[in-house]
Amino acid sequence: MKTIYADNNATTPIAPEVYEAMIPYLTSEFYNPSSMYERARGPAEAIGRARRTIADALGGVSPDEIIFTGCATESNNAALRGAAHANPARRHIITSMVEHPAVLEVCKAMQREGHDVDFLPVDERGMLDVADFVRALRPDTLIVSLMHGNNETGVLFPVEELARITKETDPGILFHTDATQTMGKLPIDLSGAFGHIDLLSFSGHKLHAPKGVGALFARRGAPVATFQIGGHQERGRRAGTENVAGIVAMAKACELSLGHMGDEVRLEAMRDRLERELVARIPHTRVNGGGAPRLPNTLNVSFHYIEGESILFQLDAAGICASSGSACTSGSLEPSHVLRAMHVPHTAAHGSIRFSFSRYNTEQEIETIIDKMPGVVAALRKISPYWDSERNVPREGPEIRAGGARAST
Amino acid sequence: MAWNYSEKTKQLFLDAVQGKPGSHLGEIADPDGIGEHGSIACGDALRFTFRVKRHASDALKDVIVEAKYLTFGCTSAIAASEALCAIIEAGNYTPIGALKIHNQDIVDFLEGLPEQKIHCSVMGAEALTAAVFNWAQKRGVDLKALGVDILPEETAEGRLVCKCFGLTEPYLKRKIKELGLRTISELTAATKAGGACMTCHHQPGGLQDLLNEVWGARPTLPPPGARGVAVSPTGLVEDFDLKRVPPKPGSEPLSPFQLMKKIEKTFEGYVRPMLQKDGGDIELIDIKDHTVYVRMAGACASCIGANQTIKLLVERTLKDLVDGQIKVIAV
Repeated sequence: MKTIYADNNATTPIAPEVYEAMIPYLTSEFYNPSSMYERARGPAEAIGRARRTIADALGGVSPDEIIFTGCATESNNAALRGAAHANPARRHIITSMVEHPAVLEVCKAMQREGHDVDFLPVDERGMLDVADFVRALRPDTLIVSLMHGNNETGVLFPVEELARITKETDPGILFHTDATQTMGKLPIDLSGAFGHIDLLSFSGHKLHAPKGVGALFARRGAPVATFQIGGHQERGRRAGTENVAGIVAMAKACELSLGHMGDEVRLEAMRDRLERELVARIPHTRVNGGGAPRLPNTLNVSFHYIEGESILFQLDAAGICASSGSACTSGSLEPSHVLRAMHVPHTAAHGSIRFSFSRYNTEQEIETIIDKMPGVVAALRKISPYWDSERNVPREGPEIRAGGARAST
Repeated sequence: MAWNYSEKTKQLFLDAVQGKPGSHLGEIADPDGIGEHGSIACGDALRFTFRVKRHASDALKDVIVEAKYLTFGCTSAIAASEALCAIIEAGNYTPIGALKIHNQDIVDFLEGLPEQKIHCSVMGAEALTAAVFNWAQKRGVDLKALGVDILPEETAEGRLVCKCFGLTEPYLKRKIKELGLRTISELTAATKAGGACMTCHHQPGGLQDLLNEVWGARPTLPPPGARGVAVSPTGLVEDFDLKRVPPKPGSEPLSPFQLMKKIEKTFEGYVRPMLQKDGGDIELIDIKDHTVYVRMAGACASCIGANQTIKLLVERTLKDLVDGQIKVIAV
């Protein structure tokens, strides 16, 4: 059975060109870039070239402003913790309720340690109210951390505008964005429209490089203390022997993604077709984040009255890889914090499925998903006590109540 | 993490969704017993119905001959429902006899369940109990007289312990005893209690106290009427407050009130009328000290020069009429 991989917001397949670019640094060019002999020059120069490539991809920033890390989670930790260490006088943090755990949990931890954190709410489309944001800014605000594209819904925050407002209010407030989902998909010009952003995180494995490599853009002069201490790598700002092959791979992936920016139009058309067809063919379907500007590759869709994990299981059996925000897949017993923040009703939050595509997906794959989904949903609705399969409508009558045994009469 | 379901669980689920003959999907019309458990808010729910072969003179000798289910839930919830029905139909159980079917029997039938999915099997056993109670009502069987202790309304009566999943003290205590649950994590796996916000774990009268009460350790429940204080000895701190929103304008202590009033007055009296004359408009979003946040509306909103308009016109006006330090930011 052919695999249809529609979970590219989780991770992406490694591009063949990226794989090729890595091989020398996994084989003959294995030397430690910090070593003094001539042979170590190759890996050291490869890192320099990679840094330049990535700096160029971000709008021609200075290569010094790129710090290689192990993943976007590390970059986020380094940005938030590093900002707090460098500026202990400021105690206030602004973030949102829908951030990835790599920001949300760090902010909660900092809250427990005494920082004052505002978790901005979103509306039912998943969008921030700029007025809420403005009101939250304070004279003691240390850092604003708002994601660029949401990993679950694809909803975009206007970070370039929010950063401008922040900086015009007080240049001393740092603006950080987690761009893990948008890097390589949308143009990010840190010398132009995104010029007010101080800190930006992303990783390689979301753009067809391998796992285990990420980067933090830290604008020159932004007060961010060293997070990981040790050797002099990354000019002392992130100690640890460099993941040379990973760094080379991430740079190659960035370079390729620039050439493939046009593909996003095709992806958007594919996503829109899938969305249209699912909504048309399956009653009581809800597009989460549908009313907002979104990443072109992401569709988060809920099927009322059924549970997402059992949808995924059937898709898996058909060779289709996707993900869900349901409680049973969240690792906790509650559905996704993003959907709850968007006030998605319980009848739909448990039945959410995220399809996320990349340039390697084909129109034919979309057609297969379109063909498959109505049957998957209908089979589960047939089992659901909340659905009347004969009339194909939600079942009326009293809802089964929470907790404990209850006899119906 | 990928599924770690047994082959049996996967097969039962796939048979059910594919409507294979022999699966127990559905609802018996006019059933002899019906019971439900769970809710759509909690993420899984089960409606269980059975039909008996009625004994001519003695209801206690009724035998369950058919069982069906409708389930909203994950793969294992659906497989556990299927298992429950299969176990019952295979055993020629009387309804009272069926009460001996434990959630562990469902787990065994499924050849094991991942720990965090144990609650799926408990849901099956609970719905069965409720259905037997319903049968007893219909058949005029006095369960109490038989020494069968079912408290179907205990959920409505008891003190709410886990607010996220609506679980009460009597219910949780019964499950702790029935299933021999010794730790909070076991209790969460079996009933979901404390699986969401976790605040009930160590609260007075919370999950740890219930476990202590059942198994004989000293409870920390305060006397009736005493005010409980939420403590968290594990260091697990409450989730952030979802209702927290930034302060509204006017409540900002660092904005000198008079300056703000003057800005507002000038804004409404001069700036807006000035723009409205040209078919535009402007909205005052917030004032922080000397910083004024505005949003362009009307004809101004789509005007390329809006930013410049604000800078030159609004800022100049406010600087002249109110304070030279004023800064205007468009949002």
